[in-house]
Amino acid sequence: MSTETKTTERRAGRGLLARLRASPFLSDFLSNRLALAGLLLIAGVVAVALYARVGAALGFAPSVEALRATRIGTNPSLAAPSAAHPFGTDIQARDIFARSLYGAWLAMKYGTITVGVSTALGVGLGVVAAYYGDVTDNVIMRSMDVLLAFPSLLLALALVAIFPDDLGLWRAVAALTLVYTPRFARVVRGAALKVMEDEYIDATVALGARDPRVLVRHVLPNCLAPITVQSTLNFGLAIIDLAALSFLGFGAGPGTPSWGLMLSNGVSQGLLTGEWWWSFFPGLLLAITVLGFNLLGDGMRDALDPRMRQAVD
Amino acid sequence: MVSKRFVLKRLLLLVPVLFGVATFVFAILHLSPGDPARVIAGQRATAEQVALVRAELGLNDPIWVQYARFLGDLVTLNLGDSYIVRKGTPVLRVLRARLPVTLELAIYGQFIGILLGIPLGLVSAVKQDSLTDHLTRVGALAGISVPIFWSGPLLILLFAQSLDLLPATGRIASAYDVPVVTGLITVDTLVLGVSAGDFAPFRSAVSHMLLPAAVIGVYSMALISRMMRSSMLEVVRQDYMRTARAKGQGAKITVMKHGFRNAMIPVVTVIGIQFGTLLGGAVLTETVFGIGGIGTLLVRAIEVGDYPLVQGTVLVFALLFTVVNLGVDVTYSYLDPRIDQ
Repeated sequence: MSTETKTTERRAGRGLLARLRASPFLSDFLSNRLALAGLLLIAGVVAVALYARVGAALGFAPSVEALRATRIGTNPSLAAPSAAHPFGTDIQARDIFARSLYGAWLAMKYGTITVGVSTALGVGLGVVAAYYGDVTDNVIMRSMDVLLAFPSLLLALALVAIFPDDLGLWRAVAALTLVYTPRFARVVRGAALKVMEDEYIDATVALGARDPRVLVRHVLPNCLAPITVQSTLNFGLAIIDLAALSFLGFGAGPGTPSWGLMLSNGVSQGLLTGEWWWSFFPGLLLAITVLGFNLLGDGMRDALDPRMRQAVD
Repeated sequence: MVSKRFVLKRLLLLVPVLFGVATFVFAILHLSPGDPARVIAGQRATAEQVALVRAELGLNDPIWVQYARFLGDLVTLNLGDSYIVRKGTPVLRVLRARLPVTLELAIYGQFIGILLGIPLGLVSAVKQDSLTDHLTRVGALAGISVPIFWSGPLLILLFAQSLDLLPATGRIASAYDVPVVTGLITVDTLVLGVSAGDFAPFRSAVSHMLLPAAVIGVYSMALISRMMRSSMLEVVRQDYMRTARAKGQGAKITVMKHGFRNAMIPVVTVIGIQFGTLLGGAVLTETVFGIGGIGTLLVRAIEVGDYPLVQGTVLVFALLFTVVNLGVDVTYSYLDPRIDQ
């Protein structure tokens, strides 16, 4: 039995690779230069994030504690960008360049957790709703409708109020996870319903497969495409919303080198007195990162949409 | 045509959603760690004073009694009184004063977005894969990628600080005292201008509106032009378009008469959904530009723990969002009569 399963799995694996190679999706995606540019931007931000985090652990980049601590006395305070401080320094004389690099790590880390958890929750709810239908479907989807009845940032703000302040960025993550889950649930439910009309699902059920197996092995893999697109597009949104919550004062705790908080301090304390660099550079990195995810997500959506594939005559 | 039954059905469907929304808001506030009685009584109040306030608020009653009271109050449009931000003022009155400020901003932003987004998307679709198309697409993606709380301050820096062309914050120069009629400052000042012949307040209000509306508008333009483009590209391939051309109709007329109306259906949806994002964006825009709308009100209420105000603001936002979506559905069925069957 076990060897048999293994060979089937291996065969399925090879089939997948061959399918990928022949897939119009991949060739379309590769020919889409904008999506590739997005992928490169993301790769760049990930490299920066890893450099800052690994460097902090191994000692070739400043640690979080060093980035939080005031540098008055060591550095000039509110210095304009120069060779020593490429992005200038803030009111605590901290180097904005080093802090911005670490901000990339925070954005990627908390963004990944937010999108990852809401994808997992949404996929679970969506597939279950589609598969069992009827009352289960109604209960799940109507609760999702209630969450979708709020503008997203507003809902996040209201939810943030539930969690205690000392959670810092975690409370923004918790709030946004709840905000994003319904979007995934809705997309996945739609995709799963479509997959379930296919005959191979009936065949699997007729062969005696149990519900979990049908769901995980047959329904879910065929919904992966829309899930991936939705995750990518929401990744950009999550990074913006996390920064927005920090900007409004409901995210990162004081001193945290997060882009949203740096922007907030830079705008409220430095903008009208001429220290533009304080908010400009963290914001620029934020915008570039989000653009990367939007370019990638947009390209993937176009490549997956068969209607966009044919040229107009 | 839009059938009455369709609208009625949609309205009935609203009831459970709004009920869910109200329940959800009630739950959120009861899960909050803060103690409303302590908030009202103040930090220096004695334990007895806090207990007294708690009894007055009915916080000692079982949760289902409080829930029933909450729903009853909602039905009679009683949202309670503000604890701190506007101590003692009914929440509904606070919201009524602040809501027009946010709505005005959102409407101008949306207007800019539609005015620029639709033509850009059309041109992009008609000239698919041209330089214009590529520039529009990249521009649109950049537009939704740039956070409002970064582009807003940059615009202030450029137009207010460096060029000194436009005011940085607020709704109108503080020298003017405009009587509130509609609450929409551009309308109120225009009325004042027409009746008193002094258009200076109106000009001031408009110049204050430009930057925040532009920031919101760029975001909305990006989403609308993207949807307009892809929707138009899809419509252009339909058989009826070829038929119209085959009958000898000119390309321009075909695109406008047969293509445009059909392509607008998904665009209308985006405009509606967009409006919610825009209301969320208003929180950020108002904070950046120092505008006292419902968004800054919510932020302040959350900061100080003014529960009835948080509750009321969130409910009003959800109601607005839901009503706009209903409007979208109705417009939708007008554009495509097949939908209401």
